[in-house]
Amino acid sequence: MSGAASRVAQLRTLRRLDDAERTAREALAADPQDAAVLTELAAVLLSAERHADGLAAADAAAALAPQDERVHRVRGVLLARLGRHTEALHAGYAAVSLAPNEPFAALGYATVLQIAGRLDDAQRVALRAVELAPAEPAAHLRLADVASDRHDLVTARRAYAETLRLDPDNAAARHDLAVLDLQAHRPGDALRGLVEAGRMDPTQPLVLRNIAAVVWRLAWLLRIVLVVGVFVVIAAGGGDGATPSVPVRIGGALVLGVVAVASWRTLRNLPASTRPATLAAVRADRPLAFTCVALAVCVGLFGAVAVTGIGVVAVLVWLVLALLAIVAVVVGLARRRRTPS
Amino acid sequence: MPDDALLGSLLAAVDASPDDVPLRLHVADLLAARDRLPEALAHCTQALSRAPGDPRAVALLQRLTAAIARPVEPGFDWGRAEQELGPLEAGFAQEYRPDAVTEDVERPSLTLADVGGMEQVKQRLEMTLLGPMRNPELARAFGTSTAGGLLLYGPPGCGKTFVARAVAGELGASFYEVGISDVLDMYTGSSERNLTQVFEAARRNAPCVLFFDEVDALGQKRSHLTHSSSMRNTVNTLLAELDAGRNEGVFVLGATNHPWDVDSALRRPGRFDRMLLVLPPDAPARAAILRHHLRDRPVSGIDLDRLTRSTEHFSGADLAHLCTTAVERALADSVRLGSVRPVGMADLDAALAEVRPSTGPWFATARNVVAFANTDGSYDDLAAYLKQNRKL
Ligand SMILES: Nc1ncnc2c1ncn2[C@@H]1O[C@H](COP(=O)(O)OP(=O)(O)O)[C@@H](O)[C@H]1O
Ligand SMILES: [Mg+2]
Repeated sequence: MSGAASRVAQLRTLRRLDDAERTAREALAADPQDAAVLTELAAVLLSAERHADGLAAADAAAALAPQDERVHRVRGVLLARLGRHTEALHAGYAAVSLAPNEPFAALGYATVLQIAGRLDDAQRVALRAVELAPAEPAAHLRLADVASDRHDLVTARRAYAETLRLDPDNAAARHDLAVLDLQAHRPGDALRGLVEAGRMDPTQPLVLRNIAAVVWRLAWLLRIVLVVGVFVVIAAGGGDGATPSVPVRIGGALVLGVVAVASWRTLRNLPASTRPATLAAVRADRPLAFTCVALAVCVGLFGAVAVTGIGVVAVLVWLVLALLAIVAVVVGLARRRRTPS
Repeated sequence: MPDDALLGSLLAAVDASPDDVPLRLHVADLLAARDRLPEALAHCTQALSRAPGDPRAVALLQRLTAAIARPVEPGFDWGRAEQELGPLEAGFAQEYRPDAVTEDVERPSLTLADVGGMEQVKQRLEMTLLGPMRNPELARAFGTSTAGGLLLYGPPGCGKTFVARAVAGELGASFYEVGISDVLDMYTGSSERNLTQVFEAARRNAPCVLFFDEVDALGQKRSHLTHSSSMRNTVNTLLAELDAGRNEGVFVLGATNHPWDVDSALRRPGRFDRMLLVLPPDAPARAAILRHHLRDRPVSGIDLDRLTRSTEHFSGADLAHLCTTAVERALADSVRLGSVRPVGMADLDAALAEVRPSTGPWFATARNVVAFANTDGSYDDLAAYLKQNRKL
């Protein structure tokens, strides 16, 4: 590799993409035919998610050095990201044909197949990459990602775990594993995973958004408990909700107990930064913040029921929850309009 | 006040019998209680020179050291303290040995006086670097003050490199800078040897300041470097050199926009164990920067106060951009008119509509960092600032 090309590669490793691009373009001004620099530039622009610019560099590099596997690998992924799947598959295949024993060529091809939606083939190629480089975290991570797209959760979990064993600070693996936990209805584990991922790489805004998603999930669960709780209290009151009675008190206390135990079970063993991270996530999502306050009010109302023994107080919970439902619908509609899919 | 009458008579008593160590320490105690730290320190050191190792004196010295090292304590006058200490042991003449590594370091003529505002940062630099450098004997009396480095961090374009260069200007020969391009040269060439050479040169010329600009490039998290063994080795070399235990008199200063990308081992005690937040320039700093950039340009009717007020959250680099934009506008007009039209407020207002503060993305990331990575309190300053500026 030329001096300039390795400088660009190092800057990319240091995540200084602007500096890397500038260095590459300066080198190209002196020698526009330097295929190694062109390839590095394409890789930099791929990292910067500037796919069209990256493709221009990759095309030039491929014309100059058609025998170089890496050019085709990078070019394939760029084409795939631009949605040009047929050409992407050609480029990816060219890479693995030129270097059948290069794990990163296989990883590039697996990525291309995955983006094109050919998940079974993608998994097969990712497995091949793992075979070629069993100690390479990136290979296991790609396999995990493809398997998770295929809903093959056993393979996905195993591969994420292996990635983390090889590279304990791999934030992407930790994050994606947490997302699987959330889908598997294990919000406590999901929260822990997300907080750990955030600590490993605090620069990813996605983590905070997914923590908000976990809190939304927890808020839904709490809502169900509260709705059922109102029935319990009404039943305990036996039709007369206005006069204080011991059964109503017990009913209210019971609901509080269930909420307390469920919260403890979900939130125990969480790392130290859970609190600030969760608070930041909630604060950044106004409807969620509103929901949390409203739910706290509901729990307070059950506290009032437990203390006073007056059943009708619990009916106020329904009122608050109805208000929340309206807010949820409005927010949902607004968000759908904002992100047409 | 009877209190100070007492102190006055005790001071006279000390003058009368300068060898009375307990009396001197008592006086030093009283001075410390009145926040007259430099004087207290002077008496304490006098006491120590008469009774070396006296446990009470040592304890008091430590207490004073801690009080003086408090970052927010308003400027401690090292020079005055040194004067009050009287003549110190001679023989600390700084002979300057020319050196392969220093030779090509550009000597900046910048001094701290050129840095507008940033009082807190300047004070902290005075306390941790400049004071001890100018008064090495006093620094020695304070013991371990040179162990461990200071890491400047903050959004890009807000004066970290600038203020470090100003420190260089204050110190002249005793300043070594390692920037990102040196680091890349190390990666491509014989990296470990080079870094070791830099440290060796610094040690030879101690006392001196060794400045690593963009230290995240040199000390990147090793988990990001799984594919580059040479870069990983460089991080290891840096860790080893910082630990070498031979760095007496070498003050290590670092700067980075991304402290969260720095390997956590680099932030352990004895390495970069103190962090100093360098925020977007405050009003005096903005005024200084604006004045600097409009200095050699034809201007008329500039309301610097108003401009300073309407550029809150702008970085130094943004302010430079603002001035260039305004100047370009005036220049275009001048070309059209065929005569010089000076830069006026209208140009700057037009530029203000165009140029926005560039620090937004940095603060967005900083919010995440505070949320996830502040369990040890190392980002408390940043958290407090973000709390005050919720809209950033
Ligand atoms: N306090 C200040 N006084 C004068 N100029 C400043 C100040 N802060 C920043 N600047 C200007 O802003 C420019 C960018 O600052 P720099 O030190 O390169 O930022 P950083 O290293 O923090 O990214 C400097 O070159 C200098 O001209
Ligand atoms: Mg800088």
